[in-house]
Amino acid sequence: MGTISIEHSDRLYWLGRYTERFFITLRSLDRLYDKMIDDKYGYREYLVNFGLNDSYTDSLDFIRSFLYDENNPNSAAYCLERAYDNGIVLREEISSKTLSFLQMAKDTLTKSQDKPNVRLSLLPLKDILYSFWGSINEHIYDDEIRNIIYIGKTLERLDLYMRMRFPFATVEKEFIRLCKNLHRVPKDTPFRYNTKYLSILVETLGTREDYEKDTCKALKSLGHLFDAEEVRV
Amino acid sequence: MKQVNEEYFMQAVGNADEINELLRRYGVKFGIYKNGVFNEQFFPFDPIPRVISAEDFRAIEKGLVQRVNALNEFLFDIYHDKKIVSDGIIPEDFIYISKGYLAECEGITPKNKVYSHISGIDLVQAKDGEWYILEDNLRIPSGASYPLIARELTRIAAPQAFSENRIVDNRGYAELLKETMEYSNCGGIRAILTPGRYNAAYFEHSYLAEHTGSVLVQNDELFVEDNVLYQRTYSGSKTRIGVLYRRIADEYLDPLTFLPESLIGIPNLMEAYRSGNVGIVNAPGNGVADDKGIYYFVPKMIKYYLGEEPILKNAPTYLPFYDEDMKYVMDNLEKLVIKDVAEAGGYGVVFGSDLTKEKLEEFRKTIIAEPRRFIAQEVIDFLDLPILDNGETVMRKADLRAFVLSGEKTKVWASGLTRFSRNPDSFVVNSSQGGGFKDTWVLSQ
Repeated sequence: MGTISIEHSDRLYWLGRYTERFFITLRSLDRLYDKMIDDKYGYREYLVNFGLNDSYTDSLDFIRSFLYDENNPNSAAYCLERAYDNGIVLREEISSKTLSFLQMAKDTLTKSQDKPNVRLSLLPLKDILYSFWGSINEHIYDDEIRNIIYIGKTLERLDLYMRMRFPFATVEKEFIRLCKNLHRVPKDTPFRYNTKYLSILVETLGTREDYEKDTCKALKSLGHLFDAEEVRV
Repeated sequence: MKQVNEEYFMQAVGNADEINELLRRYGVKFGIYKNGVFNEQFFPFDPIPRVISAEDFRAIEKGLVQRVNALNEFLFDIYHDKKIVSDGIIPEDFIYISKGYLAECEGITPKNKVYSHISGIDLVQAKDGEWYILEDNLRIPSGASYPLIARELTRIAAPQAFSENRIVDNRGYAELLKETMEYSNCGGIRAILTPGRYNAAYFEHSYLAEHTGSVLVQNDELFVEDNVLYQRTYSGSKTRIGVLYRRIADEYLDPLTFLPESLIGIPNLMEAYRSGNVGIVNAPGNGVADDKGIYYFVPKMIKYYLGEEPILKNAPTYLPFYDEDMKYVMDNLEKLVIKDVAEAGGYGVVFGSDLTKEKLEEFRKTIIAEPRRFIAQEVIDFLDLPILDNGETVMRKADLRAFVLSGEKTKVWASGLTRFSRNPDSFVVNSSQGGGFKDTWVLSQ
């Protein structure tokens, strides 16, 4: 390795985070679509999970905003645009082919707005994203580069799962996955974990009881995971 | 057109939507600022290729190699002994007044004496079949990536168009560029310097980095230490850069040498370059040779440096700087095209025939007041090329940017960027002015 800059390592990490945030937002909205068939205010719990107020006139207004509003930082469109912003400056690392899946996703999302059945027209997006990740594995030969993207992806997933109160068994699996990625990071690089915060995470995600009691603490530690280690004299 | 198998040729046309969809998918875009706002636009691709016969291409190739070799000799001469000036071939006014002449480059000899590694030479074909050089671009000519990716995708969308016609494969451009960069490598990795994502040609920067296996860098990742250029890596170490294909203008390259307010340059880069520790592709200071005023003298350069007759013709050009030419320009202003030598990208080009009587008089006064600022050219009756417009074939003006790469040998890429005007009344083909592009087929026999 050796030729990856600080700027690019940061971009790789956020590419992973935003792509995953887009994917999970999309998946969550798909579930909400289904839920709202029976309960028109079914989206409110989602807002509560993220500490957001219900300022939407109805479920359609909510869905439109969370899917397409680029000014809503929690929307799928916003996340995808940020993923693309990071991906476009990484072409030589991730390849044109990989980047093309983000462009396809953008086009598919935009076109879905005018379709009579939005939910149906969004289905290909999942395939596109699976292809994106397949392309990441296929075209990136440098393990460190790939690992940084995966750290972003798994950390984002863990963060969102905890915020959405996913069951412990699911969260635990994702935490183990993140730990595996973290252990591959060389010392003295920006994504080397902070021992103190990793220890807190291990503690708070140790058992179902701990997780349920200390989710906030776990989320906070996750946010500090890459803080520089304190130097003790 | 008769030299190609038209049935299969039309296959490309029939798949126009698929090809444009693929180009869109691969993000073939260029950026444009309008009213201070950055917009990314897809570069419209026309599926009807321009076809250049093998015989025509051989002549163009020979002429371009000759021209670029002479221009490289000129650049060496201008930044050293200036014999062409002392021998009275080019008046010194044209050198020192040129914005592209950089006194800071005096005495610098780049590795292997190559100044213009990548030359983008714009040509047009007249209706009589003759090719004319319109301008030389020796600073940072862009556009090679578009036909490169278009060919890749057209071969997917219209395979028989290629199996049934004898077309030279143009997909080796990245390899050619890599060789060219390596020839100027002073020891280290290859890097492409971009001003960033919001540059008009960012797609090209990143695409060429990917395909040449170079590192795409921005200035804040680079630093000069002991006159050596390095990239700062995320692990805190540094990697030496041996050759930098910079895609930013000379004046922004090094704030300690050129514009101090440049935020996209690398302090002390010029010292590293002067010391021979890094190759800069293309060399700083090349603007003196692609100045629209100097263009007039290129045929004279060819005779002077190479002792040869120019193979390719310039468009008939007049320099109002000379009394005789000024008289001609004043007498024929309404039928000439006037170009401001300081402008590029299709800007600063005025057709006398488009001006009202009052504007013409106003312009006449400007030329008299600033004769060195303008050149005047006869309007060449371009050969129109067919393009597809809403399903119909219409004829439009088009030019050809040929790419000449100078490494150990000077080579012409057997392809090029054919740009066309979408406006039926316009001769301006630049993408920034709404033009599109098409594939350029060079036939192998």
